[in-house]
Amino acid sequence: MRLAARLPLLCLLAALFAPPAAAAGLAFVVNSRSASVSLIDMTTLVELRRVPMLREPHHLVLSPDGKYLLVGDTVGNAMFFLDPSTGAVKQRLAVADPYQFGFSPNGKWLVVNGLARDQVDVYDAGTMKLVRRFPIASMPSHLAFSPDSSKVYVSLQGSNRLAAIDLTQLAVIWDVPVGSTPAGVLWNRGHVLVADMGADYVAEVDPADGKVINRIHTGSGAHQLFASPDGKQVYVNNRAGGTITMLDAASLATLRTYRVPGGPDDLAFAPDGTIWITCRFIEKIAVLNPTTGELHTVEVGRQPHGIFLNATAP
Amino acid sequence: MTHQCGAAAALLEPVPMPDPFDLTAGWIEQHLLIPLLYQLGWMRWEDLSYGWALFAVYGAVQVAVTYAVCLPLERWRPLEHWPDRHAVGVDVLYTIISRVGVLPLVTFVAFYQAQVALNGWMTDQGWVPPTLEGLFPFLLGHPVLTFCLYAAILDCADYWRHRLSHMFRWWYALHSLHHAQRQMTFWSDDRNHILDDLIAFFWFLAIGLLIGIPPMQFPLLVLVLRFIESLSHANTRLSFGWLGDRLVISPRFHRWHHGIRAAGRRSCNYGGVLPWWDMLFGSADFSDSYAPTGDPGAGEAMATGSYLSQQWAGLRRLAGLHGGDARAAMASRRAGVTAISGRAPGRGGKRMV
Repeated sequence: MRLAARLPLLCLLAALFAPPAAAAGLAFVVNSRSASVSLIDMTTLVELRRVPMLREPHHLVLSPDGKYLLVGDTVGNAMFFLDPSTGAVKQRLAVADPYQFGFSPNGKWLVVNGLARDQVDVYDAGTMKLVRRFPIASMPSHLAFSPDSSKVYVSLQGSNRLAAIDLTQLAVIWDVPVGSTPAGVLWNRGHVLVADMGADYVAEVDPADGKVINRIHTGSGAHQLFASPDGKQVYVNNRAGGTITMLDAASLATLRTYRVPGGPDDLAFAPDGTIWITCRFIEKIAVLNPTTGELHTVEVGRQPHGIFLNATAP
Repeated sequence: MTHQCGAAAALLEPVPMPDPFDLTAGWIEQHLLIPLLYQLGWMRWEDLSYGWALFAVYGAVQVAVTYAVCLPLERWRPLEHWPDRHAVGVDVLYTIISRVGVLPLVTFVAFYQAQVALNGWMTDQGWVPPTLEGLFPFLLGHPVLTFCLYAAILDCADYWRHRLSHMFRWWYALHSLHHAQRQMTFWSDDRNHILDDLIAFFWFLAIGLLIGIPPMQFPLLVLVLRFIESLSHANTRLSFGWLGDRLVISPRFHRWHHGIRAAGRRSCNYGGVLPWWDMLFGSADFSDSYAPTGDPGAGEAMATGSYLSQQWAGLRRLAGLHGGDARAAMASRRAGVTAISGRAPGRGGKRMV
């Protein structure tokens, strides 16, 4: 066989056995119904591999020391601790129904919402010991902390309420109605913003007593809220409307609305300014350029939900 | 309790293909259910509605695939011809209700809630909820193998549920609705009394909680398993050969379970997908003939009545309201039964029980 005839074969073999291109940044996408986490090369936008979870993971958060990426598996009743550089599973901890969770800004507490079990658990973040359980009705879904870590605000999706828990006294201090099917919660400039999924607005709430002081119309099925890295904008995804609304964080005026296919859910901000969005119903994530509005999609697993970007991963 | 995990390489899995079932359910959820829930003010149920959409898609595909394969088979090599197929029409209704309608939603919600409650409670006590992957950690990176093991365990559990349903008189009063059909076709798989379905649900609930059955992660495998169960009821002259019949349950094998001589407490071939449990526990009959089906003791209402009259007849039989006539009819029909074709029953298999 002449060399020319062998070339395609040689090229194929070279491609098969060549070391994979080094990833410049890793995106972690939680596939709830596939029970896995997709690892995506942020440069090439190629899904590299999947890390198996147990049953039904939803959200993820970085530990305060940056050593672990915690992924909560609700039906599996497990918290997975992943290496945020490689995706390797370092540890698995039995935790009841970890739906959404977060570390207080001072790193002292890990608060875990058990949506299916109607409970909010407060863990000592250092020891991962359960300190206090708050049985609370119903469907506690999302949470946000006050900047001084003294309070955590929890949306109660099933009872149209928002609850405030004092973390110094470990007590519920108020629990009041804020709208229809509240979901996402965000601390913004001295107030608490709550996305009302059963309506088309974000409620601005007084953190002292839970009173709704303003309603900002965004889109039908307002679901989740995210502050931009510089804190100047707030992004609201609207589940039923299939849009993402960019608000000015100071005035809460609508700056721009983006149409995103497939049920936009969680999002994360990349250092290059792009916004990475999980599209719940089409097994994809969308990478949005907020300046041009251009979208690029990447295939992932079933029902992508939480997303985390580690731009410095090798 | 913590679990230290091994090297990352052992726990990483390749990237699978997109799932058309999930994408279809996602389309229904996004374009039909969420707008509806939003208008009705029921958005809190949006995650649940996706679960139903997924079950409905699986069910519709199961029905479509079963229809596409089994109908030509029944026409190509039919066992029996019936001028009036009214009784088959009722079985179609059972199938639609069972696989696409409200039952999957109820089952899904109830199982999900029970699993959340029990596993959450166990986790609170410091125990790890039981799973096969917990018992055998090497399974964690091998989801298909894990699913096959779960499927085999559930099939074995179903064998015993089915066998027990023939052993207890009160239970068989309900289960006889399934056996009453004299025009057995691939539609007959879901023909069950609703109380019998309820008992089966609690049976699988207990087993599922005990072994930590995974959620619907492998729709194709589930589809194949349900297809085999439907095919085994088909009105067709089909076996998979000596070896094949011992690997997967064929229409010929399962037909003996539905034979008139096997109705009631003296039955055989209880398995749903795998014949291994019948072989292992001494209830297999590999006779190569095809028996007429039905349960003469079940009464005419159960055999040819409407959906509601069949359900009512099941309750009446449970209450023992028409036992005497039915037993007499059964005895007389058993006396006159003959195989449709092939060798006489019972000779090719291990034994009848």
